[in-house]
Amino acid sequence: MSDSVSEHRPPAAADSAATLRCEQVVREYTRGSDSLFSRGSDAPTVRALDGVSISVSTGEFVAIAGPSGSGKSTLLHLLAALDTPTRGDVRIAGTDVRSLSNRGRTKLRRDTIGIVFQHFHLLPSLSARGNVALPLIERGVSKRDRRARAEELLERVGLGDRAGHKPGELSGGEQQRVAIARALVSDPAVLIADEPTGELDTETGQRVLDYIEQTATERAVVVATHDEHVIERADRVVRLRDGHVVSDG
Amino acid sequence: MARRHRLFGVVGLAGRRVLGRLRTTSSKQVLLSVLGVALAVTLMTTVSGIALGLGAENAIQSEGVDYWVVPEASTASSVAVSVGSPQLGDTHAITDRLSRDERVDYATPVQTQLVTLAPEGGSTDEYVLAAGIIPPEEPTSVVGVSTEALTPGDPHYANGSYDGPRTGELVLNDAAAELLGVSAGDEVTASVGGSKAAFTVADVREGSLSSGVGPVPVALVHLSELQTMTGSTEGDLADQLLVSTDSAGVRSDIEALYPRTSVVTQTGLAVRGASTSSLPLAMAAVSLVVAVLVGVLFVATMMGLEVNADRRNLAVLSAMGYRTSSQMLLVVAETVVVATVGGVVGVVAGIGGIHLTNAITRELLGVQVALFDPVLVGYSVAVAALIGLVSSVYPAWLTWRTPTLEAMSHD
Repeated sequence: MSDSVSEHRPPAAADSAATLRCEQVVREYTRGSDSLFSRGSDAPTVRALDGVSISVSTGEFVAIAGPSGSGKSTLLHLLAALDTPTRGDVRIAGTDVRSLSNRGRTKLRRDTIGIVFQHFHLLPSLSARGNVALPLIERGVSKRDRRARAEELLERVGLGDRAGHKPGELSGGEQQRVAIARALVSDPAVLIADEPTGELDTETGQRVLDYIEQTATERAVVVATHDEHVIERADRVVRLRDGHVVSDG
Repeated sequence: MARRHRLFGVVGLAGRRVLGRLRTTSSKQVLLSVLGVALAVTLMTTVSGIALGLGAENAIQSEGVDYWVVPEASTASSVAVSVGSPQLGDTHAITDRLSRDERVDYATPVQTQLVTLAPEGGSTDEYVLAAGIIPPEEPTSVVGVSTEALTPGDPHYANGSYDGPRTGELVLNDAAAELLGVSAGDEVTASVGGSKAAFTVADVREGSLSSGVGPVPVALVHLSELQTMTGSTEGDLADQLLVSTDSAGVRSDIEALYPRTSVVTQTGLAVRGASTSSLPLAMAAVSLVVAVLVGVLFVATMMGLEVNADRRNLAVLSAMGYRTSSQMLLVVAETVVVATVGGVVGVVAGIGGIHLTNAITRELLGVQVALFDPVLVGYSVAVAALIGLVSSVYPAWLTWRTPTLEAMSHD
């Protein structure tokens, strides 16, 4: 894997073959729904997404852009099977998310989705190798195979010599590369990244983008971002405003 | 196979997370949980050691003795305290009747009493456990001390009149002789309450009554001479009856001698301490219950707070595809590991507590009352693991109801 890859990729495949597909998705939240005293039918609702339709195919790198409160994170949560829509369909690798139980969505995430968080969310007590191998524990992979696979991924993101270091001993860019390696260790069909360059300087952010871009040849990649550098490098940019798609292309 | 790898993987992850947090002391909750369990286990180990010491020495040990007759409520007849406990009455007559039975080789009542002995011309006196017995014709050993130097029988008793010739003989074990600085032929004065009597050291014998981690100073005397000092001539009282016999059939006769007594076999000596001694058993049981209750409340609260502080990481695991059951297993394993680490610390401190207790009682009473047994190590660590297991229910429940999305935004 080179540090700078910016290949031209084919346009998105037809919707029916999309790895990720949202159709007329509405997501509403009830304000104060976590309170014991405000669960009445008159509790105010907030519509975070309103009739959103997008599709992402394998090999596509799609950026979701928009101002704060536009619905980027909500859409990302739906595409990562962390949430379910109030109305509309969300299909991930052909599976209707609304038809799945909580347990089913957990399995879908385990088998199909890799997630990169803005704040890395690495476990501080584990080494880089241990963090990368985390998803493999739940998949029942043997210790030896977990170690080998984690080291292979760390090698691919240029951190082969940092495998034994704890997150606190790594720079922000290195931590994000560990997080990317962790998201990819199960070879998921979908990679979801939430502001992956949000806490990095420009140069480090560009390197992280290189790694994400490279992985898009084998999977569908969706990145929520404010960062113009990410937007420039994406195959497609979906712009959201007030829960609506205002442009897609 | 995959399931096994997952199970071991999650448990291993729990261990690494706990040790990581302990190493960096980044989590006060984990540290406090360890200290809480350690404190509870320390107290439990120390109290259990004292209970073991009391329970193990409740019977007067003697070679060749096959049965002990002890009052059922004989809870206070420890090496340190025998006054006030239920006693057997009419013991000379009963013993005489037993001795006439051909199946019985030897029988003697035993009265134990903590007395002070002062060597002639000495400036200080020392506490010694006096055991009053009826020495047999054929020498045997009682409380680990040979009766050989004592005149057989109990001449001072004189059929209950207590006006027979007083032998004034006393056999010391080496611990008592060393403590008093006396040897065979020396004169000593024994005192109990306001009563005093002069004795001659007839012999010093090796042999000890083990209690705790050291020997107890012991003096063998004739029963009636001790009874006269302790005021238990009225009713001819003694604490226990020792019976040596090869016949198993004699047990029923022994059991019929006294109501509300227990007859214990030699092989059941260790068990007897627990079965007939309610004080040590109660002490051990209460210490166990208190340790488990305090430990569970403490660990459950602390680990509950820890789960709350760690909910974002749990949510990240959920986002990676960790089942709720795996997350709960992780938290349960972490809680058990934390409690077990606390248990190990507690055992070490508890052993120190046993030694400290013995040092204090040796200084104040001249005896050691606590006993360390290697079994205590396994017992205490097992209790600590039990504390972890029981208290893990609460943090596991918190994990189960942690909403992934909400926790992801928790910082």
